[in-house]
Amino acid sequence: MKLVGVCACTSGIAHTYMAKEKLVKAAQALGHEIHVETQGTIGVEDPLTPEEIAEADAVILAVDIKVEKGRFEGKPTLEIPTSLVVKAPKQVIQKVAESIGK
Amino acid sequence: MAEGTQGFNISNVIDEKLIALDLDVNTKEEMLNALTDLFEEQGKLNDREGFFKDVMWREGEGQTGIGMGVAIPHGKSAGVNETALAIGTSKNPLAWESLDNEPVTVVILFAVTEGDSDVVHLKLLQHVAMLLAHESFVEKLHAVTSPQEMLALLESSPDDYDD
Repeated sequence: MKLVGVCACTSGIAHTYMAKEKLVKAAQALGHEIHVETQGTIGVEDPLTPEEIAEADAVILAVDIKVEKGRFEGKPTLEIPTSLVVKAPKQVIQKVAESIGK
Repeated sequence: MAEGTQGFNISNVIDEKLIALDLDVNTKEEMLNALTDLFEEQGKLNDREGFFKDVMWREGEGQTGIGMGVAIPHGKSAGVNETALAIGTSKNPLAWESLDNEPVTVVILFAVTEGDSDVVHLKLLQHVAMLLAHESFVEKLHAVTSPQEMLALLESSPDDYDD
């Protein structure tokens, strides 16, 4: 499946980037395609393009703070804390895959 | 190796004097105090107490133990002069709020200036966070025996680890 994700933690220093790295590696290991945007102290990096969002089968929001969700309207979306991604990235990806039957 | 491939030079945020191995500490507070002392000695702080308070506040906001015996406490604080990292390892397992509910022996303390807009600094912290996403990196972290070895390990690239 094709996934897009956003990672953002409270201080935007560490967990955001650990979560991204974990999500990307887990998705790759399970044979999925993923693009992950980070919103941290440094600002937004690797922003998701409208095309990536349009093509995505599902959205993973690994966030501890509020992020703008309007652009994901109508997409199956899993919103979870960054800690869950850091702890169990593969299970998160598998859960999304199961929920959309991929 | 990463220095060449990604333009990273970890010495912008940490050097041997900010690394303390085999500390004989018994609590989270003792470890955080020891690492805060290192920052203070290296002139990274303008307000030691303010910084320590901000680190402890962050501790109250949520777990900084990331599992596998490692914690990454951090303080974004007006008490910081210059963004930096300090790393301490403990002889004794320290009780810490962790994702796997296990004690920690490696603590990486991030000191970040309020509103740091220095991209180089923030990218380096990001680099360390990305390394920590890899279990094989964390295993190497636990096996480090000298500050020099620690610095070399920090300069490796997240892409060097395939788990």
